[in-house]
Parts: sequence; structure tokens; C-alpha cells
Amino acid sequence: MSERIVVVGFGPVAARLVDELLPAVRTGLVQLLVVGQETEAAYNRVMVAELGVGRTTAEALAMADAAELEANGVDVRLGVKVKRIDRARQNVVLSDGTAEHYDRLVFATGSRPVIPNLTGLNPDPSGPVLPAGVTTLRDLRDAAVLHSAVAEGKRVVVLGGGVLGLETALAASEEGARTTVVHNGPFPLGRSIDRGSGSVLTNSLRAGGVRMAGNARSTGVETAGPGGSFSALLLDDGSAIDGDLLVLSCGVRPRIELAEGCGLPTGAGILVDHHLRTYHEPHMFAIGDCAEVRCPDAACVNCRNASGPSGLVGPGWRQAEWLAEYLVVLARDGQAAADAFEPLPKEKPGVVVLKARGVNLAVAGDNQADPWDEELLEAGAASGRARRQISQWADPEHGRYVKMTTRGGVLEGLVAVGMPRTAAELVVLFERSAELPADRSLLLRLDGPDQLDAGATSNDPQRTVCRCAGVSAASIEDSVVEGCSTVGEVSKATRAGTGCGGCHEDIKGIIEKHFQAAAA
Amino acid sequence: MPNGADTHCPYCALQCAMTLTPAASEAGGTAAAPAPSAEPAKPAMTLEVSGRDFPTNRGGLCRKGWTSASLLHHNGRVTEPMLKGSDGVHQPISWDQALMLITSAVKETQQHYGNDAVGVFGGGGLTNEKAYLLGKFARLALRTSRIDYNGRFCMSSAAAAGNRAFGVDRGLPFPVTDLDTASVILMLGSNVAETMPPFVQHLQGARDAGGLIVVDPRRSATAAFTSDGGGLHLQPTPGTDLALLLGISHVVVHEGLADAEYIAANTSGYAAVVRSLSSFWPERVQSITGVPANLIRETARRLAQGARNGGSYILSGRGVEQHVDGTDTATAAINLSLLLGLPGSARSGYGTLTGQGNGQGGREHGQKADQLPGYRKITDPAARAHVAGVWGIDESLIPGPGLPAVELLKSLGQPDGVRCLFVHGANVVVSAPDTNAVVQGLRSLDFLVVCDFFMSETAAEADLVLPVTQWAEEEGTLTNLEGRVIRRRRALTPPPGVRSELWLMARLAEMLEAPSTFSDHPETVFEELRLASAGGLADYSGIDYAMLDRGEAAYWPYPVGSTGTPRLFADGFAHADGRAVMVPVTPSKRAVRSFADGSLALATGRLLEHYQSGAQTRRVSELLASQPQARLLIHPGTAATRGIADGDYATVTNERGEVLCRAELSNSVRPDTVFLPFHFPGQENANRLTEAATDPISGMPEFKTSRVWVRKAVSTQDLIPAGTRLPLHVKEAS
Repeated sequence: MSERIVVVGFGPVAARLVDELLPAVRTGLVQLLVVGQETEAAYNRVMVAELGVGRTTAEALAMADAAELEANGVDVRLGVKVKRIDRARQNVVLSDGTAEHYDRLVFATGSRPVIPNLTGLNPDPSGPVLPAGVTTLRDLRDAAVLHSAVAEGKRVVVLGGGVLGLETALAASEEGARTTVVHNGPFPLGRSIDRGSGSVLTNSLRAGGVRMAGNARSTGVETAGPGGSFSALLLDDGSAIDGDLLVLSCGVRPRIELAEGCGLPTGAGILVDHHLRTYHEPHMFAIGDCAEVRCPDAACVNCRNASGPSGLVGPGWRQAEWLAEYLVVLARDGQAAADAFEPLPKEKPGVVVLKARGVNLAVAGDNQADPWDEELLEAGAASGRARRQISQWADPEHGRYVKMTTRGGVLEGLVAVGMPRTAAELVVLFERSAELPADRSLLLRLDGPDQLDAGATSNDPQRTVCRCAGVSAASIEDSVVEGCSTVGEVSKATRAGTGCGGCHEDIKGIIEKHFQAAAA
Repeated sequence: MPNGADTHCPYCALQCAMTLTPAASEAGGTAAAPAPSAEPAKPAMTLEVSGRDFPTNRGGLCRKGWTSASLLHHNGRVTEPMLKGSDGVHQPISWDQALMLITSAVKETQQHYGNDAVGVFGGGGLTNEKAYLLGKFARLALRTSRIDYNGRFCMSSAAAAGNRAFGVDRGLPFPVTDLDTASVILMLGSNVAETMPPFVQHLQGARDAGGLIVVDPRRSATAAFTSDGGGLHLQPTPGTDLALLLGISHVVVHEGLADAEYIAANTSGYAAVVRSLSSFWPERVQSITGVPANLIRETARRLAQGARNGGSYILSGRGVEQHVDGTDTATAAINLSLLLGLPGSARSGYGTLTGQGNGQGGREHGQKADQLPGYRKITDPAARAHVAGVWGIDESLIPGPGLPAVELLKSLGQPDGVRCLFVHGANVVVSAPDTNAVVQGLRSLDFLVVCDFFMSETAAEADLVLPVTQWAEEEGTLTNLEGRVIRRRRALTPPPGVRSELWLMARLAEMLEAPSTFSDHPETVFEELRLASAGGLADYSGIDYAMLDRGEAAYWPYPVGSTGTPRLFADGFAHADGRAVMVPVTPSKRAVRSFADGSLALATGRLLEHYQSGAQTRRVSELLASQPQARLLIHPGTAATRGIADGDYATVTNERGEVLCRAELSNSVRPDTVFLPFHFPGQENANRLTEAATDPISGMPEFKTSRVWVRKAVSTQDLIPAGTRLPLHVKEAS
């Protein structure tokens, strides 16, 4: 009898898990039931803002196809909620009244947007009712709301200076909406970036047409628009920011009620060990936004600095891939083999690359230390471990800023604004824990105009003019001196220009130069 | 006696047309060709090379072609069968003795260990006739399934991807001159400016239109053509090409650039591919590849624009194919081309640039472990029946599938492995991955026979070296990178002790009492190949020598009664429903390996002056003088961190081996990557460091992303002892 795995939730992370389990479903090794609350199968939620500004289509976001999964033997229930979990009987009770048995259960319930405490909004997280003209940005319906506002060129107020808020505001602005970002603190993105990059970023966003309202504390929404819809965001200094649509982008909170409801330990998310197993229930697992990897062992080094779920999709996908392999080993070879399975590797701190066209930003790790912050630089530099080092480049006039925080030449933090190639290189170096060149300025020059053209012509007579035949300028000149006056004659005498022909202009130049000199 | 000939270059798959004419006497004035210095005074006729007009090269040749004739009378040439004595020194023996030795070695090995204990390793440089006969010889004369060839290291990934998507694998499914009018050409991991220079003519149109887009971790000579408005250079970190292609495809889908009408009419699998692309948005791909998101978008848009105006082509090369996920990477390139509606359309297309001289024909007629002539599958009962019919034998005499090259080499000397090996047209000691292990394998054999014209590094390992003809001494056909069958013609008589491989196989077949017939006459073999290929994917049945000698352009499939197929796919693809299959692919987890501890990615590749293992080009004094040694290309910043200056000796090491060579500092490589050419033997042999891990579908090894540590060579034992300062290959030629 094959094992039955129930996956609760059908977002992007669940979709990856299901994809990876599909071969085992086809061979009958496992049975799979996926329960998704939305009526659509999994789609790429990370790109909902792109959809909201009309830069892509819902079809292109799809990550799974329910009919195809069914055809492969997966039981897919869409538009259905898991109401509760009966651990004693190993049943999930569904909103359609049925109960389904599980041998293994995977929580992939994701997270939900935080509804801030503002007058005029119902803060009840389980069933927020938002007034017209106020939306979060999490699913296809939210995207549709944003899209109609952008398409009509309306005023969009984004509350929250996180990644999603900035991406939404910038894209909406580029697509024709008038947008304002309201955030607290002097610059957006909070503690993940430093003051220098925050300031350069703010200016770049402004240059991209986004109004930036920093150091703002919002207190309520005014709903004096048509039909009682949103008309302004009220701030604690008594001012108001007028708009037609308010996008709440105040972060997300893991959806853990189901796990809590059946008595599983939770922190910020559902607590799981390095095998993604919930505490005390080794046949229940959690992955993605709802999972908090922090093992019960208080002495575990890997968990010492563990924080809650990152809110990024990358770690969730890696968890899904790992768990699929683990579940297959478990089903095929039994518990002992599964126990021997290499645990999930520790995640590196997340990398954020702003999905935007007009502004380039990459940020990862810890960027708080400045080059002369002795205390921060020495932190963690005990017992032979190198101290942190900072290299920095700031050119606010041209919207460029880079900071590299390294230890032993390897990045622990990076932030780059307005330098796309540098940002791309730094992120790759960070992801691979690769050593930076000692001369860090090499990494800053990648975006320089001099990098575009390595093929500047030189006057060195020994330079190779014809690569194909390996003929130097000097040999060509010699042949011209000896009487060759056309490219054809030079080719015949020296073989230059007899391969790809790309140097014909060059040869012509040498001939002309010779005769000009002779005439002069 | 032959007296010069119109033929083609002995080297790469562009097969530049050339004319060989007997040279005027020594006093021949200012003739461009410097006399081959290695050959002081021999009475034999020397040949002069000149370019000949032909669509692929338009009269152009590169240095390799210009100097190719100097090898015909090279003093290092093997001209008699050479048997290795107990002292390890090769001594000449007669052909009769050689044939007897081989026959008894084969019989003895097979008596003790079974038929599959004898193996054959072929090459993509062999003529169609030799490649065809080698497959037949292995299966009927040696009665073994163990045959494969070095094309496994070359075209196997592109071939597997092409077969999967289109149902057929012809490198370029269109004449190369079609590229001339393209406004956008995307070159994926192909450095034609060095590997086949005359090809560059066909990129000129795209360069003029600003539409040459080159993907290469190195600013190669080809990538440098994108300067000055020629186009774009995308420089992904090695091993991430697949993710890059998914990113470009993602943009095509999400920005509505796909050709919906074409997709609906000509492909299957679209929806699944779209779903697989959803998670590869440009910024995520940037994090994996190091290519900025805006360049990824720009590339997608230019390709789409080109497809609507003037034409867009996507061409892939070994750079993206020689990976453990090479088949999937080539598939990603094909998917991109299908999304854009390129394959089979009048002014656009997808293709892969075949490398070896007969890399195309060599992969069609039975040299592969799983293949019978005409690109047939050896496991297909109908294919077996057809070929058995042509050979006039019972179908049961044809063995089943054997082992792909890397597995074949791993099996050398192992229990149940190969104990007696024939090598034809390959230099595995230099060109196979993990060469230290390959050498061990060769040394554990009971008997090794190598056919070559020089004492190559592999020949040096052989018990018996058999001298065979060079290109200018033989007749035959090759199939160039376009799938066009061309004639190789004899321009001079080979030295007396030298035989053709056809002759060798025919004699041995006779002595081994093989069924069927084995002719040593090229045209007769080709006539048989025609019949054997008839009805297969690579159908040559309508082609004959007379037609080729008239200069007709013969592109396969060319069934009897047809006029051949210059352009494939005009009337659909080679699957039963006529549609191209889009297969969703994703990067292997290997793509995100750690490069902590100061390790770097090693990519291997080619230099303009050398061809393959360098067994030929390292013996051409002019080429060797220009590139006498392997040099490690390293970024100045990376070198500075390691205290390495330009020209210093450096060691490159990993768990498989060590290379010692000079360093060349260059901005053309990424700081996280070093580059080594693979043309050199011994301590400069790049393949000491490459891994014999293979693509699960094609059997292609991982050549382009080895993890290595680089340091300055300091200890005295690192340095080459005085007196042997020059590597052996340098000494021989100088």
C-alpha cells in the first residue's frame, strides 16, 4: 500500500513539491492530495505586481495545471479549505464536509498580508474586509484591482517601503499611474540597507516618478471617494495623502492557525527541524512561508541565529525540492534510510534584487557596518576568524552606491544601487561564497563605459591585423612597401584577409596610410 | 598518379574548400606558404594549398588550413606498423605481422572474456565511409557492442536535444549562407572567430545591423565582435547557461513576444514550458548567472524584433552543450527558438555548429553505441532488419547497444570491461575527460591498437600503432556542418608503408571470418552506405560520387529520386504529428555550487592555431611557434590575489589532477573563472582536471565547469627540470 501525502496549500512552493513528487505518483509509490484555497492552481505570486501593472498575463504566471496533474494521478482540490486537522485519526477535515486520511502531511499554507492598524480598516487578520479602493497585493484578484487603477492612470498610494511596495510603486508609475510610497524611517527597505544606499535609492525612485513620503506614520484611511471608497491616507502629523487606490504593502505573516489548532508548536511560523518535520510529529512537515526552521536542540549551532520565515520564495523552493526527495526515500526505503538522508543545508541570508526596470538595486546580508565602525567590524572576529572589512563607493549625484561587507574576502553583505553589472557580479559572488579580488575597485568598473569596448585600435606595428592567418600590421606594411596596392594583392602576398575577411578595412587603412605618407 | 585535387580542409566542420596543387620546385620565390621547416629534404612531391570558392568559406581559409599540407611529409610521421617491445620502445614490424597479432589478440581476448571484451573508439574526423565501415566492422567482424566515438565529447548533447525536439538531428537545418541576411544572431557558447574563422563572414550582416548577441563567460574573439555597436555580449558565470536561456524565454512569454500562431500550428508542449518558465524572472536569473536583468530583457526583445524583420537565428556551440545538463541546455535554446517561431521559417532558424571535420556524418552511420547507419536506432527491430538485409546477414548477428564513450573508457581493464581496444581518429589521452584515469585505463588493457599518422599521446600508449592515410592521400565523403555531403579527393600517393583504414578493416574482417562483405574501395563502401541509410532519418540513398563530383549541393535527407533537402522543417518536423516538441527543462542543482575556499571555475576551450588534441597542429611549426604552450587565462584581479604575474608558472589543481603552465593575465575572463585550452598534452593537459560526470541523456561529459584551485608555482619541483624545459611536443617539431 503506497503512502498518502496530503499537501495543504497550493502556492508556488507547493507547486514545486508536487512537481518533484510527480514521478513517484506516476509509479504509484505515493498518493498525493493537494488542497488549495484559491480557485486557481498554483501561480507565481512573486510576479503579482507585474500582473497588476499589466506587464504580464495570468496565463503566463501559471505554475501548475490541475487537469494535467489529475491526469497524472494527483488528487487536486481547488477552492477548498482545510478546516482542521485531526491528528489522532490522521485526517484533514475539508470545507466541503469531507475528511481525508493522510500518512504524511505537508503544510504549505504560506502567509497572508499584514493589515495595519488604521482607523477605517478592520484589523481582524482572519477575515479582513477592506473598503473599496483599498487592497493588499497577494493574489490574482488583488492584481486585477491594481490593474484597473493603473490602466486608468489613477493615483496609487502604496503603504510600506518594503521590496513589494517599491516594485509596485515604480512599475505602476512607469505604466502611467501617479504613485506615492508612504513609509516610516528616513529611507525605504529599513534595516536591510544602510543610509547611503537608502538615500541614493530614494532619489532614484523619485527620478523614476515615484513620490516618496518618508518618516511618515499613518493613522487612518479616509473613505470619501465615490461610493465610500478610499480617498486619502491620514498621517499622524495631521496631513493626508490623497489617492484613488491604497495598496497595503506592510509585510506578511505566516499562516499557522491550522497547525496551532491541532496543537503543533509554532513561533513566527510552524516550527520544524532540519528535516522540515514539525516538533513531536515526524510525519508532518512544513515548507515555505509558513515554516520556521529552528530545531528543538538548544545547542544547535545552525539554529543559533535562525530567524523566522524569510518571506522569499527561493528558500521555499529549495525546501520543496529537498522534502520531495526525502519523502520519496521515506516511502521507498523506509524510516532508517530517511534518517540517514542528508539534512536540508542551512540557508544563506536571502538576496533581494529589485524587480524593476528604471531602478537597479541588489541587497543581501548585513549592511549596517561602516568602514570605521570598529565595534561592528570586530564582532564575531574571535578565535582566528577574520574581522569584517568594508569597501564602499558612493556617487549620489549619478545615483550610484555600492557597499561590500566581507570577512576573509568573502561577502557577508552587499548593497548596490544604480550599478547593474556590479550588482549582478556581487550577487553571484555572494551566493557562491567566492572570494572577491583584493582590489575591490575591479568590481566597480564593470559598469564603466570603458568596459564596453575592448577592441580599441592600436598603432603597435606588431599587433595582429588578420587573426585568421596570423598576420601583423608590420608584415602588411612590408608587403605594401614591396608594391602591393590593393587588399587583394596584400592577401595574395601575406594571406592577410584570406579567412573571415573582417580585417579588409584595416588592411585598406594601412595601404592608404602608406600612400598618403608617400604623397606628402 | 594523382596530381593535385579540389578537396576540403582536413580540420573543422566548416570544411573549407581548398585546392591542392603540386608545388613548384624549391626555388618557388615568394610563395606565401613558408616551407614546412620540419621537412628538410625529401624527394616527395609537396603540395601548395589555396582557398577555393565555396558557399561556406568563399575562398577563405584560416592558418590551420593554409598550413595543413606541411603534415604530409612531416618527419614525425608513422610510416610502418610499430610494435611496442618489452622495453617500451616501438619497433617497426610488417603489415602481415601486425594483422596476425591483431587477429590473435582479438580471438584470445574474446575466448577468455567474451565478445564485448573487445572495443572500438572512433572519431568524428573519419570520412563517412570509414565511420560507416567501422560500425559494421565492430559489430560483424569483432562481434562486439562496444563501439563509441569522440563525438560523444562534442555533438552528443545538441544531437540528443535536436532529436527530442525536432525528431531529427542535422546541425544546421539550413545552408550557412542563410545567415548572411539575418538581422539578429544569438551565438551560445560558440567562438567561431577562433574555431572556424571563415564562418565569421556569415555574421557580418547581423553585425552591421547591431544584432550579434554572444553568450560566453569569456570575452572571446567572437564576443569582441559585439563591440562598436555590433551587438551585445552576455557573460554568464560558467555552468549557468540553462538558467540564462530560461530567463530570456521568460521575458519572451511574459512580454507577449512569443509567436502564438506559430506555436499553435507547429509545436506541442507549450503550456508546460510556460509553466516551467514562470519562476525564472530576469532578476532571479541575474542572481544565478551574473547577467544583468536589463540585458536579459534586451536580448529577448531583439530576438523577437529580428524574427519579425530580417530574421533571427539561434546557434549553439560546445560552450553551452558540454555540461552534465548539456542536453537540457540545448533544449532550452530550442524552446526559445520555438517560442519565437524560428525553426523552419524562411528567414530564421535554430542550429548547432558542429565541430569536428565529419562531426555530422560521423554521428549518423553507426559509430555510436546505440546506432545503425542512416541515424537508425540499434534497438529498433525494423532498423535492425533493414540493415541486416543490406549486409546480407541474419539480424541476430547485430549486437545490441553498447556503452557511450565515457562509460566505455571507464570500463577499460575492468572486470567485464574492454580488454582489447581499437582507436581510430581519436587522441583520448588528451581529449577525454579525467585523462589521468584514461591513461590508467589504457595501461590496464591487454592489447591496444591505435591507427594514426603520428605518434600521438594515445598512440604512444599503444601496443601496436598502425600508420594510416592523411586527408590528401584518400578519397571519400564528409558531411559538413550544414548536412551537405562533400567529396574529399586524393591529391597525392601516400608513403609506401601507409594503408587506409578501409583496407585494414577489410583485411581483418577476412582474417576474423566476418560475415557480409568489407570493401577497401571508398566508392563501393559509399554505395553500400547509400543502401544502408535508405529510409533512415539521414537518408543518403540519392547521393553518389558522380553527382558530388559535378559539384551538386547534396543536403540530406536525400532519398533516391529526390533533390535533397537544403532546408529542413519547411513542411513540418520529423515527429509523427509533424510538430516540434517543447520539453520543459530546469537547471540541475549543480548550477548553484559553492566556490568557497578560494576555488575558481575552470572552462576549457580552443585556440585558433590548434585543432582538437593538437596531434596534428602541434606538429605544424608555424602554428606551434604561434601557440607553443597552454596558457591559463586569468583575470588580473584574481591573479593579483594569488601573487601571479603575467607569464608566471601557475598550478591548477583539483581532486583529479594538476596542470602546470604559464599564466596569461587578461580582462577577457571573469574574475571567478579561469580558462585553459585543451590542445596540449602532459602537464599542460586541461583534461586532467575535467570530470567524467556525464549528461544522463547524451552521455556528454562536464568540460566547462570544473572547480579548481590556482596558485603560483613556487616550489622547485613544480618547475620543469632544466634540460627538459620544452614540452616534448615542442621539441619534436622544432
